[in-house]
Amino acid sequence: MLLDKQGTATPEDSRTHIRIPFELGEGVERLELRFEYAPKTLDDRERALELLRDSYERYILPEHRERALIRAERHLPLKNLITLSLDDPEGYRGACHRHDPVQELSISREQASPGLIAAELLPGTWSVTLSLHCIVTDTCDYRLRINAFGEAKS
Amino acid sequence: MRWLACELHTHTLHSDGSQTLEELARGAVGLGFDAIALTDHNTMSGLVGKEEIERQTGLRILPGMEWTTFYGHMVTIGLSEYADWRQAERGGIDEGIEDVHRFGGLAGLAHPFRIGSPACTGCFWEYEIGDWNAVDYIEVWSGTSPSIRTDNRRAFELWTDKLNEGYRLAATSGRDWHNQNATDEPISVTYLGIEESQAVEEQEGVGQRSGGAAGREAGLLLPRKVRTESETEALIRALRQGRASVTIGPLLTMTVESGGRSYGIGSAIPAAAEEPISAVSQAAGKSAAESLSDSAADSLRNPPSIRVHLTLDFSVRSGLWSLPEQALRLKLCSERGEERTLEVLTPTPDGRTAERLDGDGDAAALSPVRLAVELPAVSEADPASRSSRRWLRAELWGTARGAYVRIAFTNAIYFDAPEGANC
Repeated sequence: MLLDKQGTATPEDSRTHIRIPFELGEGVERLELRFEYAPKTLDDRERALELLRDSYERYILPEHRERALIRAERHLPLKNLITLSLDDPEGYRGACHRHDPVQELSISREQASPGLIAAELLPGTWSVTLSLHCIVTDTCDYRLRINAFGEAKS
Repeated sequence: MRWLACELHTHTLHSDGSQTLEELARGAVGLGFDAIALTDHNTMSGLVGKEEIERQTGLRILPGMEWTTFYGHMVTIGLSEYADWRQAERGGIDEGIEDVHRFGGLAGLAHPFRIGSPACTGCFWEYEIGDWNAVDYIEVWSGTSPSIRTDNRRAFELWTDKLNEGYRLAATSGRDWHNQNATDEPISVTYLGIEESQAVEEQEGVGQRSGGAAGREAGLLLPRKVRTESETEALIRALRQGRASVTIGPLLTMTVESGGRSYGIGSAIPAAAEEPISAVSQAAGKSAAESLSDSAADSLRNPPSIRVHLTLDFSVRSGLWSLPEQALRLKLCSERGEERTLEVLTPTPDGRTAERLDGDGDAAALSPVRLAVELPAVSEADPASRSSRRWLRAELWGTARGAYVRIAFTNAIYFDAPEGANC
């Protein structure tokens, strides 16, 4: 395994990026990434409605807030959102901006999971960036594992 | 001028959409679109294979990406290369926009007043924009049934405020289209007007992925070649120049005749063009002071005017939208407010409006409705001030799905300030 990184995020980490660099040797033909985080949803309904009320104060005009509160249900359950993007030694290799809390991704010269760009796997310093768009639960555990395949020469 | 029906905000499996590019393209063709922009969240990987899909479907696919950041979503269209969305700080979107421009792209605020985190992360625009001149457009209509949404109304007001402040920026619609689920809600279309293709000069070897900054520098040494611009490039140029008209039904277009010339949506009328020709010819043989006072007096008696030509084409995307029969209101708006309101009847089933029951006979059904309006070039309240309007747009209002709403609006035609006048 090339990398196995775990961590815990809290609501204060919302709107931050975590950059996780890793080294790739010569001759790697395929990378497999498994990224997961949990929990996905905030199940404390009262807490969720409180967070929504706060956000309506910021984002909705006073005259429309009451109506928004009546319809708050449409925004439940509130979700954590962490997305992954990938950089090779020369630049951006795409992002996987979607809500799935478990993502199994792969990338090679010929093919790549949706969101990533298939191209040569250059040796050097790569990085995964985890973008913590929003953490609504008290804590959210995440884990990223990367495996390299090919005739790796050390 | 050809007006192409465009959908400028779409997603596929490459971000959080649940459709492939091919499914999206076929869906777009089925809804009468000529072009779409693929604007997946933070990736352009979905564009791989687009040429083949364009060939199969006849749809034009513009490259794009939606910057999906913590403080706002920004739709970018027409880029040759990826610009990094992750660096943007709350006060630093200007540099991001600069990067987008450097790669030949356009930047627009996506659904700027949609509710933000935690319901929709980063969806509300919270960036402080240092220079509004750099913003190419605002997506003022987001989603289906766009004109009844309160968040879109705020976006439309933001656009109007910026026009009033003297900025020249375009306004578009975008469905933010994620899947092929059928809807019976009105769908909005951004029509982009393209002129005859222009010749473009380019350096060989530029625009390939391996390029990068070094590639571009090397490119300066490569021979230049001239070719005709593609329809895709023409569409991007149209959006850059604000040659756009947005609608949930008929296509509304406008030209302004001033000083013997005709100006289309997105263009600017030079101040000199508003000078009444009579005043200029009368000036011959008189001293400058005399002629000035003469022409001022002439303006008071007979203020110079502009002629606005409006066209409503009810035949576009035939069968894909409908409006109840009614008297629609066509408004000419500027920073002075609503300058004129006209009534236009929806076409009767035989394809003619009441105003056109004038013996046009059995001419093709639904030929466009054309109207012309005279407007004073200077303020009616105070013609001596010679204060010109800054911008003018047309709006079509009427009842759709039981609500009285904006059905269509053009982008603005601008008026340059007279020399020496302060903006």
